[in-house]
Amino acid sequence: MSQSDDVHTVAPEMAISFFKEIMPFNSLDDVTLSRIATHCRVDFYPKGTRLLTAGETDITHLYLIQRGGVKAFIEDDQGEISLKDFRGEGAYVGALGIIRGTPANLNIETVEDTFCFLLPREIFLELVEGTPAFAQFYLKSFSEKIVNTAYNELRHHKVSQRSGDDLYLFSVRVGDLVKTLRKIPGDASIQDAAAFMVEFKVGSLLIHDPDDDDNIVGIVTDKDLRGKVVAAGLGYDQPVETIMSGPVQSVLSQSLCFDVLLKMMETGIHHLAVERSERVIGVVTSHDIMLLQGHSPYYLFKEIRGQQKISGLYDLAQKIPEVIRGLINEGAKAGNITQMIAILNDHILERMLTLLEAELGPPPVPYCWLLMGSEGRREQTFKTDQDNAILYADPQSEEEKQAAETYFAAFAKKAIDHLVNCGYPLCPGEIMAINPKWCQPLSVWKGYFTKWINSPDPTELLHASIFFDFRSGFGDGTLARQLRRHLNAESRKQDIFLFHLARQCMSTRIPLSFFKNFIVNKDGEHKNHLNIKQKGLTPFVNFARVLSLKHTISETNTLARLKALHDGDFIDHRLWAAATDAYELQMQQRLIHQLAQIEEGVLPDNHIDPAQLSDLERRMLKEAFTVVEKLYSVLDRMYPTA
Amino acid sequence: MVDLLRPTSWFGSPDPKLAANKEFFTNFDQRRPLVDYSFVVVDTELTGLDRKKDELISVGAVKISNLQIDLSSMFHEFVRPAKMEHTLATLVHRITPEQLENAESIESVLPKFLDYIHGSLLVGHHLMLDMHFLNKAAKNIMGGTLSNPGVDTMRMAQGYNRVRLGHYHDHNPREISYNLDDLGQEYNLPAFKPHDALEDALQTAYLFLYLIKKFRKGGLVTLRDIYQSGRVGSFRY
Repeated sequence: MSQSDDVHTVAPEMAISFFKEIMPFNSLDDVTLSRIATHCRVDFYPKGTRLLTAGETDITHLYLIQRGGVKAFIEDDQGEISLKDFRGEGAYVGALGIIRGTPANLNIETVEDTFCFLLPREIFLELVEGTPAFAQFYLKSFSEKIVNTAYNELRHHKVSQRSGDDLYLFSVRVGDLVKTLRKIPGDASIQDAAAFMVEFKVGSLLIHDPDDDDNIVGIVTDKDLRGKVVAAGLGYDQPVETIMSGPVQSVLSQSLCFDVLLKMMETGIHHLAVERSERVIGVVTSHDIMLLQGHSPYYLFKEIRGQQKISGLYDLAQKIPEVIRGLINEGAKAGNITQMIAILNDHILERMLTLLEAELGPPPVPYCWLLMGSEGRREQTFKTDQDNAILYADPQSEEEKQAAETYFAAFAKKAIDHLVNCGYPLCPGEIMAINPKWCQPLSVWKGYFTKWINSPDPTELLHASIFFDFRSGFGDGTLARQLRRHLNAESRKQDIFLFHLARQCMSTRIPLSFFKNFIVNKDGEHKNHLNIKQKGLTPFVNFARVLSLKHTISETNTLARLKALHDGDFIDHRLWAAATDAYELQMQQRLIHQLAQIEEGVLPDNHIDPAQLSDLERRMLKEAFTVVEKLYSVLDRMYPTA
Repeated sequence: MVDLLRPTSWFGSPDPKLAANKEFFTNFDQRRPLVDYSFVVVDTELTGLDRKKDELISVGAVKISNLQIDLSSMFHEFVRPAKMEHTLATLVHRITPEQLENAESIESVLPKFLDYIHGSLLVGHHLMLDMHFLNKAAKNIMGGTLSNPGVDTMRMAQGYNRVRLGHYHDHNPREISYNLDDLGQEYNLPAFKPHDALEDALQTAYLFLYLIKKFRKGGLVTLRDIYQSGRVGSFRY
């Protein structure tokens, strides 16, 4: 058959030019491309053709869309269809299933007349195995896709069934919502009533019979003041009862919020008096009920800001996971989520310490509430131990010193207790403001850092490393900045300290190919589990910290540090991109893990069971770990042992 | 004994390849599902349209099996024309004189092509024209004609448009261009470079795939259904 050999070598030009225009094929050389092209087949699928069925179709080839488009969707047990994706010309279908060796994970149907190149599974796998850039492309695009899918699955099977925003409407009774009763006699002037409303920051006021405090005769709202007084030119000295609406519609305090909402919708009245034992105990507004219903960060944010009592913050802090779940519902990414957690936590802290200052009186000297570790780096997830400290301005006299010590000791004790009540567990290492060692004036703090930097004791340094991630959480930020300037100035002088930090960083072994491809903890409670924080994320955090200190970058967030290092040309572009991807990927994985635990009612932790991961997730993690090797080699060149 | 009586040497016997080809299609079953058939989509480039004087200068073909275009074995051969001088003067194709001068003669290209199409149905756009020149060459060289049944995509397209636009729709068929490129645009097919035998064969293959699957969606599942519905081709030329 020698004569037909040359027949077979005709390379299909149109296929090659197609591949040259799409990622990641465009990275392949011409010889490889023409070899791939000759292995392809072309198929046509009229609009409405089902290509793959989730959980059923074994994928024998990769579909590359030359013309037309497909939709990807999931159908749940109830037959409900949720659309996942549209893919058009140049996009692919089926790569995930081929790499994982599983049936299709999505239903795929053509939405237009569609021509596809079909690349046989074996050839595709050969490319993935043999071409690093190729593999990376798919792994990277999966990391997003998988995470999206994982979110979607969580959303479907766990989140939506339980979170049900309406659940609150059915479980909370209106008596629990009602605000302190504000009322004024009917013969008070309109101006007095308005002043009263301003004073108590309320939008409505109950009006009682001047002769009987308990006899509520009407209600006045902001709207009444606007419409019946200002717009109508009514005198401010008129008695308030001339503009009130009465009698007041009321509901019983044990009514479910849902019923109250119904009544409001039926009557069009947004302010209802709440009665208990035939006495009006307060007012409930439609706004109050909407607040209950909404778990948007904005509502929570507003609630936190408006909170007048520290104990009121306890419940609000517990709502943070709910809000975060809502964000995940909307498809937010790990980076955004940790940032949102940090913002909400910061607001809780700010409100709490503001109220605490009001309670204890103003501090004798300015101070700054420092956040350390993951809080300092704005990288908290659902499990956040307290890592905090107080830094205050140097007292100018012995009395002031005494006053400061007494004040901040009491202040710290109360603050830590409140934080525990809000659901932030105590730090096992006692790195908290309540520990006198970590509640000190600026000069002492400067001394700490000078000692760590100039005469580093490796063991002490190990525990101290989280201090280098400090930031101001509340209070006088200039103190934190002064401390940071001191730290930067000192660390620049002393390479030996960075050497120790770097060496410590490298002492965390890379969890690669050991125990069935994974080093996992072999002892204790989490046997055979991978601590993704310790083994996976910490090396990145440490790397970014060492280099940031070396180059006096004041950022504390790991991704921000990496970016600053890249922008300052201290690390090359590829390393930065790889590190950022790998770090985000693991953050994402950790977040999903913890979210799942929260959904199951388990306390969230960092221990991932490799057996629970899919092949692909394992590959992705391995990929991320190989980046750690690259980071270590950078550190090793910078701080060689010999 | 019988062999001795066969007048092979007298008339110039049909080539064994042609005989095998004829044998294969003698009891050809048209009632199997379309996916079972193997098709070869063919396009030829000619020196001109004069059926007597003009000749083949290139043959391009692609295989379709399982109703998918198989890119692993494509056929593309230039043919050195007998009247080279005349050809070069009229060249409108994307073929260079060097390619023709270096090409093989039809005597060696045709047997390769016969191997390539063995067992397959032929598909072409206005297939009659291509077949005329291929059969003319086959008669000259191998003493017979090709027996492969054929399907003409131009007729398929006419049949498809008839159904699509309505049998009784008052339209002038002449308003619709059945030119290969125009049909490609009408059906939104990927476009290929015209005037190259292989590219045109591919373009035709896309058109064929498009039409046959549209037909299939309309309930025409066997080859016979296709033939009967719109007289889209014929068994013989």
